[in-house]
Amino acid sequence: MRAPEPVPGPSRTGRENELDSLLARVARGDQSAFEVVYDQLAGPVYGLICKVLRDPAQSEEVAQEVLLEVWRRASRFDRAKGSAQTWVMMIAHRRAVDRVRSASAEAQRDQKNAAASVTIATDEVAETVEANLERERVRRCLATLTETQRESITLAYYGGYTYSQVAGLLDVALGTIKTRIRDGLIRMRDCMGVSW
Amino acid sequence: MKLLHHDLHFLTGAYALDALEGPERERFEHHLHRCQSCSNEVRGLRETSTRLAFAVSMPPPPPMRERVLARASQTRQLPPVTEARHEVQVPLQPRARWMPRLAMGLAAAGLAVVIVLGVALAGTQHRLDVARAQENTVLAVLSARDARIVTASTNVGGSATVVVSSSLRRIVFTATGLPALPGNRVYQLWLMGPPETRSAGLLSQPSAGQTAPVLAGGLVSGDRVGVTVEPAGGTARPTTPPIVVIPLSE
Repeated sequence: MRAPEPVPGPSRTGRENELDSLLARVARGDQSAFEVVYDQLAGPVYGLICKVLRDPAQSEEVAQEVLLEVWRRASRFDRAKGSAQTWVMMIAHRRAVDRVRSASAEAQRDQKNAAASVTIATDEVAETVEANLERERVRRCLATLTETQRESITLAYYGGYTYSQVAGLLDVALGTIKTRIRDGLIRMRDCMGVSW
Repeated sequence: MKLLHHDLHFLTGAYALDALEGPERERFEHHLHRCQSCSNEVRGLRETSTRLAFAVSMPPPPPMRERVLARASQTRQLPPVTEARHEVQVPLQPRARWMPRLAMGLAAAGLAVVIVLGVALAGTQHRLDVARAQENTVLAVLSARDARIVTASTNVGGSATVVVSSSLRRIVFTATGLPALPGNRVYQLWLMGPPETRSAGLLSQPSAGQTAPVLAGGLVSGDRVGVTVEPAGGTARPTTPPIVVIPLSE
């Protein structure tokens, strides 16, 4: 399989470095640094949580908790383990999936509902991408994946499903989903020129 | 062992998307500590998932900004971690004491491994506290003077292991090699006594065939341990014939 050509785009290194040092200032209690972090990351945090939870009121509540968590735990950010924005998005995604998986009503989402959201989830990626260059790059890179890779990644990340739930929804073997998600993400990574 | 390692490596993608749960996630995290290429890969895939988050960015309701900033100004921040590793080592002490007594039987049951993973890799402080509290009770059963191990095969394959302490009236139960169940079914554990049959909890989805240990108390004389297959969420009384029944009396 040929590796897809990286899609050219602006280097994010500048912003990433800036966020790294902003977080170090937040850890020392610098509220103006926290305001800048908020302005840069509240959008992706809220958008991601909405994507997973779908309920705007609940998403707002979880997004607030996440951003407050960033303030509270800033000293625990370790740049050797990844970028600041990834650290924040990890907290946001985990909080969102914890919420989805702990709510027993949600846990009983029947297969029909879930199957219906498969289509929505994949369509929405296509709909929401036009705005900026970043979205455009993500869209172009998602387009280099196979349909089944794209579907598995979308269900897991935006849908908040575990990979065994994804396997159940798509009615394929666990091992298949495992490799689909990994292969797809690796292809995305190479396509977007993520260097880590 | 090679195969297992290979298998785990393919979970980097699912892990980076938070699509791994429970014991499987803990096993993978344990593996990550020892597999440099895996943790490098996870790092890159996590950065990639961040791009997916940015692609669905949405402006939050404007009042949220004021609320978050106001709450931050009234919230004390956590200090940096300095000696975190030391903290995780603490539970190793009691473990060392019961090791010689039950080590062989437990190793055979894979039970020791599960408990160690449960505590060392619990992750958040809350999960760590819960895991430790449970581990302490589990350890008390395992290190009880009258602790005994009983193992039996189930009639659907695999085997069940019970460590029982009559003096503490508690058991620790784990199973290996049970067939995976469809999402709407669970394995339920029962204490089946002469007076009545009581639920002793649900077994976790097996990870690599091994269920997480279940602790059950309130044992009475003549109790047997049984497992049935029940609808998700469990039932008050067994509704299917047990796949295994283990007598506990000597």
